[in-house]
Amino acid sequence: MAALAQLVLIGLLAGGIYAAVGVGFGLVWGVLNIVNLAHGALVIIGAYLTWQMFAAWGVDPFLTLPIDAIALFVLGYAVQRGVINRIIRAPLLFTFLLTFGLNLIAVNVLLLIFKSDFRSVTTAYSGAGLELGGLVIPYIRLAALAIALVMAALLAILLSRTRVGLAIQAVGSDRDAAQLVGIDLRHAYAVTFGLGAAVAGVAGGMIAMIQAITPTAGEPYTLQAFVVVILGGLGRVSATVVGGLVFGLVEAFGQSIPGSGSVFANAIAFGVMVLILVTRPQGLMGRLR
Amino acid sequence: MIGMPASRIWNRVFTALAMAVLAYAVLAPLSSLDVLQSLGMPLLTDKLWFRLATITAMFVVMASAWNIIGGLTGYAAFGNVAFFGIGAYTVGMLITKARWPFLLALPLAPAAAAVFAVLIGLPLLRLRGHYFAVASLGVGVAVGELVQNVDFRGEPLFGGASGLFLPILAVPNRDLYFFYLMLAAAAVAIGVTWAVLRSRFGYGLIAIRENEEAAAVIGVNTTAYKVAAFALAATLTGLAGGVFAQWNVFVDQENSFPIGYNVEMILMALLGGTGTVFGPAAGAVVLQLLIQFLSGSLPITLQIPFVPDDAMPVLAQVVLGVLLMLVVVFAPRGVIDFFGGRSTLSIAYLRRSLRETSV
Repeated sequence: MAALAQLVLIGLLAGGIYAAVGVGFGLVWGVLNIVNLAHGALVIIGAYLTWQMFAAWGVDPFLTLPIDAIALFVLGYAVQRGVINRIIRAPLLFTFLLTFGLNLIAVNVLLLIFKSDFRSVTTAYSGAGLELGGLVIPYIRLAALAIALVMAALLAILLSRTRVGLAIQAVGSDRDAAQLVGIDLRHAYAVTFGLGAAVAGVAGGMIAMIQAITPTAGEPYTLQAFVVVILGGLGRVSATVVGGLVFGLVEAFGQSIPGSGSVFANAIAFGVMVLILVTRPQGLMGRLR
Repeated sequence: MIGMPASRIWNRVFTALAMAVLAYAVLAPLSSLDVLQSLGMPLLTDKLWFRLATITAMFVVMASAWNIIGGLTGYAAFGNVAFFGIGAYTVGMLITKARWPFLLALPLAPAAAAVFAVLIGLPLLRLRGHYFAVASLGVGVAVGELVQNVDFRGEPLFGGASGLFLPILAVPNRDLYFFYLMLAAAAVAIGVTWAVLRSRFGYGLIAIRENEEAAAVIGVNTTAYKVAAFALAATLTGLAGGVFAQWNVFVDQENSFPIGYNVEMILMALLGGTGTVFGPAAGAVVLQLLIQFLSGSLPITLQIPFVPDDAMPVLAQVVLGVLLMLVVVFAPRGVIDFFGGRSTLSIAYLRRSLRETSV
């Protein structure tokens, strides 16, 4: 029983990170109809920003998260406005290749700057945790889960209650009609991508506190984000959060099976994805459109 | 040539150039034969030449194979490297564990890849668009991971992280042997594409690409056609993998399932022109030479001030990314479009391409 509770807890804590990574990916996919293969790179750029500020100036990693968000928003806005907007109406293969190219550039520029060494953010409180029936829950992971949930809630509120958010939703449901009512498409797209990047950056900042990072560490997160969004159902922030938590649980249970292990992370993710796509393509929380 | 449109002239120039390159590639290796060497023939091809030429031929196979599922059928397969790896591991396992001779093991490489493609294609090809693309990408990643990590009674089943070491094949002129073998595979891939494009099957695939529902309405068995196209692409890619395994004498996850190959083969097909017979092959030659040049493997290397030599391969990847961006943004119909006679490279063309796709 204790082992089961432990697995559930591990799963939920990991799921918080998956939700944080998936939310931005799902927003961009839902509104722009782009599967952003550079999403993992955006996550890892956020992670390196946090590491750089922590290592060079000793800034507390949690205080760097808003800076990650702002920096990644600016970067995302610029990339969408400057590059992706130019092929947004091209066939899917092109947006795929373009974002793959962006990923290649980002990862290799990071490699040029930071080399392929493992970097980690270790603070005075890194080892501390809450002891609960023989199980130690690191405070950092708890905080990461809380931040992920709060961030997702803020994003949901932004999308449903503000002018900008409504414009984004309008663009997502009908591009031409949105343009007719006077929404600046280029700006709306760029803001959407910027928001997705900002959320990815914060997720990356939290990942830097939890695991050692390298420039290529972001790549698994792209596939996992995709699985999370499919699992929850495309189109709503809350669905992606559920998808992230469920995926964390599935992974925790999958890796506890004897003979399995962390080496099968991608295979598990892929298995879950195919199962969902074939049996329930609209996702756990999705509505058929 | 007077009175001919400029594009026709270009067409002829490029055809002649391509024939010359091909003739050189086919004939130059003969100079390494002992008979000709003893007659005082200068050696035109060294070890490096054979390495580059064999890799280039390998990519011609992979780009042409991708063209069948991606270019003709319109399904953005992003995981074809799985077939390459399965081909490589089939040969590797049969030779190291079952002690089969290479030429007996080789035909099973494309067969294994094709069987896998049918099994995985039946569920996956029901998906469309983004879903198929990422699901196939997932296959590429997951198969490589499984091959490296699956254990059987505590022992790694497929050699694990340390990979498989194959015995060196005892043939005279080994380099020449494998180059011609890979070249033959490339010829088969191009020939198959040519035959498919002229067949009922090929028309069916193009119909699926243009409009799948309409294709089904006019009587194309879309599922069977799609799975067959996927299996055909897998067969050719698996063949390349099988030859690679014995040529390279070492297979592991990293050299048999490199995720980068997925995109390189697509970029090659795209650069040369998807849906054509020779486009992917031409794109493969050009892009592969460029990649090798940028990573410093060619005799002529690039020296950039302030950039240390060991950073060059990383920088090459950045250049590849930028190239990917430029091709996708400015020349979505492939560079061959400028030479095939349909368009000319001009500012107006670039602006039109941009206007068609941007907001």
